[in-house]
Amino acid sequence: MTNQPTAVWDSLKRDAEERRAAARPYVQEGKVVAADDTVALLEAVIRPGDKLNIEGDNQKQADFLAECLCKVDPAKVHDLHMVQSVLSMGTHLDVFDKGIAKKLDFSFSGPQAGRLAEYVREGKIEIGAIHTYLELYGRYFMDLTPRVALTVAVSADKNGNLFTGFNTEDTPVIVEATKFKQGIVVAQVNEIVDEVPRVDIPGDWVDFVVQAPKPFYVEPLFTRDPALITDSQVLRAMMVIKGIYGEYGIQRLNHGIGFDTAAIELLLPTYGEELGLKGKICSYFSLNPHPTLIPAIESGWVKSVHSFGGEVGMEDYVAARPDVFFVGPDGTMRSNRAFSQTAGHYALDLFIGGTLQIDKYGNSSTATATRVAGFGGAPNMGCDAKGRRHATPGWLKCGEEYGIQSELVGDLPRGKRLVVQLQETFREKLAPGFVEELDAVKLAKNANLDLPPVMIYSDDLTHIVTEEGIAYLHKCTTMAERMAAIRAVAGFTSVGMQEDPAETAGLRERGIFKTPADLGIDVARANRSMLAAKNVKDLVKWSNGLYNPPARFRNW
Amino acid sequence: MTDQDKLSGKSFYEATARERARGLVDEGTFTELCGPADRMSSPHLPVLGEAIEFDDGVVTGVGLVGKHPVFVISQEGRFIGGAVGEVHGAKMVGTFGLARQMYERILEEHPDELAERLPAVVISFETGGVRLHEANAGLLAHAEVMDQIQETKGKFPVIAMIGSKVGCFGGMGFVAAATDVVVMSELGRLGLTGPEVIEQEMGKAEFDSADRALVYRTTGGKHKYIMRDCNYLVEDSIASFKEALADVLSKPYDEIVKNRRIGSEELVDEQLDLVELSCEIQPKDARDVWAYFGNEDPAGIPEQTTEEFLRAAKRR
Amino acid sequence: MALTELSFTFKADDPKPLPVEWSHTGVVGSGDMEVMFERKDLDGAVEFKVITPVTGFDQVWEKVLDRFVRDSGLADVSVEINDNNATPVVVGMRMRQAVEEARKEA
Repeated sequence: MTNQPTAVWDSLKRDAEERRAAARPYVQEGKVVAADDTVALLEAVIRPGDKLNIEGDNQKQADFLAECLCKVDPAKVHDLHMVQSVLSMGTHLDVFDKGIAKKLDFSFSGPQAGRLAEYVREGKIEIGAIHTYLELYGRYFMDLTPRVALTVAVSADKNGNLFTGFNTEDTPVIVEATKFKQGIVVAQVNEIVDEVPRVDIPGDWVDFVVQAPKPFYVEPLFTRDPALITDSQVLRAMMVIKGIYGEYGIQRLNHGIGFDTAAIELLLPTYGEELGLKGKICSYFSLNPHPTLIPAIESGWVKSVHSFGGEVGMEDYVAARPDVFFVGPDGTMRSNRAFSQTAGHYALDLFIGGTLQIDKYGNSSTATATRVAGFGGAPNMGCDAKGRRHATPGWLKCGEEYGIQSELVGDLPRGKRLVVQLQETFREKLAPGFVEELDAVKLAKNANLDLPPVMIYSDDLTHIVTEEGIAYLHKCTTMAERMAAIRAVAGFTSVGMQEDPAETAGLRERGIFKTPADLGIDVARANRSMLAAKNVKDLVKWSNGLYNPPARFRNW
Repeated sequence: MTDQDKLSGKSFYEATARERARGLVDEGTFTELCGPADRMSSPHLPVLGEAIEFDDGVVTGVGLVGKHPVFVISQEGRFIGGAVGEVHGAKMVGTFGLARQMYERILEEHPDELAERLPAVVISFETGGVRLHEANAGLLAHAEVMDQIQETKGKFPVIAMIGSKVGCFGGMGFVAAATDVVVMSELGRLGLTGPEVIEQEMGKAEFDSADRALVYRTTGGKHKYIMRDCNYLVEDSIASFKEALADVLSKPYDEIVKNRRIGSEELVDEQLDLVELSCEIQPKDARDVWAYFGNEDPAGIPEQTTEEFLRAAKRR
Repeated sequence: MALTELSFTFKADDPKPLPVEWSHTGVVGSGDMEVMFERKDLDGAVEFKVITPVTGFDQVWEKVLDRFVRDSGLADVSVEINDNNATPVVVGMRMRQAVEEARKEA
């Protein structure tokens, strides 16, 4: 019997072969393409309407390939559907300005948030959705698979083997999704070498490599100078360590970016030690290599850190602490955002971070009326992972205290992730941290979004910490009670001014609201002298000279 | 722990002007003059809607180091960057006047003990120079302070302490240069045009003010020590600065003034030689100059502790 | 454009007079303030004068200072504040520190 093929099952593969053939004139030895031929290469391998990924997160950027994409002829390459983690460089938006790209699915747009909102309003960009990282990676393997990925590595050999090293970040997930669905992978590298120190991406998953004229850009996003930590941040950090970490025995956690969490890290070897909490809290982190974590690591607090990305200047320190960090056979760390986010979603007992605004119900967002920012990984860590099935003491305790637990699951025991927001009631220029309605609601109208960008929803939020005290929101049994607890910590903001002292007294009795005094914290002690390191140089000293801070942080 | 113990261990860099003023003299001897209770704030700032401070950003007073009456001027960088306005400047000038009166009095009452009772003026600089909101008065104040320093010549020493956050820039950089002795920590910065202004005028390629390591290599204490623009390099604590002060004051006046970097024909010649040298070696970075003076590992200098640096540094 | 001057008077339930003639704390940095306490016979009251470049926060100042007087029990004191955009948190913290300093000095 003979098979009569009636359908074609390898059209994607054939299409990719055609594209590779079109690019052949530009290929030198192996898979190497000259920097000068990159624009022509992109015109050869990209087709109108393609889903295209430019690699880049909040740290490393495929900046040269992004620049080259802006130079392609819009008559040849247009209507692209960009699927990418972050919009952080001007070039990421220029492709829309030039008519090269049209639609966008992404996670985070920090520095370009204002321009993005403007383009959406002007109709230059059609936003598919704003995702969390894991959500977007998930869709790479579902309905948003890139046809072409423009990726970035430290070095490559001529066969395309890539070394992504310390800042591996998103590369594995992007390349796997693209290549295994017959897509095209182009990599920019800092140098082409005879042999890469470690194969992070196998050469046969990569089609072309280009040595960029300049090393790729990396942002030292997670470096916080201890010299800029304020006394009120020290106070909130003391409350967190005693009233939450100590209270729940939190061993596995993530610290959001910012000075508040840097203060917590720098208080572990001092205040944490004094409370006798060493070994009882903060042993395992899903966290970038924060320089401010060095004193805690050196004091023996930390057993393990897995990182989403690297951090400029931490390379040597991390390599010298393989008991703590995830270091490869070549002796250097490999970060991996997809895995660290997975750990962050399922294996954390607590997420803590700051935000711009919390509304009277407890929903929080970093969006403002004119900036489409996105939240990266925060929502995956700042939520209760409903699929979690393993127990830890802190998680169980939070579940036992959960005010509506029995309404949801009857008398079965179930734990709950602690999701903590650190909030200053007023920020600089007296901008209030608590509001009646999130600016995100206005933004949704301004930028025609389907739903207001909320970073953490009220039903996931368990604790708010302000200088007024801690609200243990999860203990509340009704929304009315929850709102009263929020008023209690909201200080002199318009939300806080509506506080009813009698109601707050009732919440204090039930342990739903605790002041620093209730927690046994002497506010007078809350000052910078509590910090294990007071400036960047102190961090270098703690690291025995292994931490090599970027020039902009070197005050010496 | 007494208040002074707490002060002396405290970082000079992080200390407020008042803490520095109190900590630089012997415990319990500091008396503030024209302090906050006198409410000598700027008459110009309110008109411009700018916040005021009761002491106009400078703490002035007198204390003792041993038997030496030490007149302290301590600038507060947190208040408008320590910039000098009318009242701020007048308080500086007035302090010099009191020091001179004290000198005359000791000369008259204790002529035999002049050496051990010799007064001194100490300026703890933290300033960018003229306060632009009251620029004419501020400029005038600079000139007056310069005059006051000249008036002290041949009488008693003026000592500069530089190790605070803002550093010592603008016109006050000239004033610091005109003192008899300059004490710095490696965190201290001394210069004329501030890094941000250089970048604004000359471009980022010429001077990237965000490159803090570059800023420190060019204006920081270690560089100034190698160049002999700074006489004493000390650790970043109030106690270390005080120790240097006590050491200076333990010496005879004739010895102390040998620390001057300008003020004689000989010294002017030395400075001119430096200009010639810079044309000759065309340094691209402070490290080139450090290497020229015989420092073998210039790149390693910023990483050295003050102690290591002082042991190994080759100076001009 | 000129600076704003606010005046308030409050009285504590459980008055504790200042143990020193006067006391001063703080530096008028950005986002910060200084405060001067002076003993004055005010029949148990505390009077405040606030000099600030910020407008539109009169009610917040009133609440913050009222609460401070209630919590600290301060009485018979004239208080002068030079403010430069201090948040209510910083105001509360500086006021508490000022009282502690004054009580330490005594």
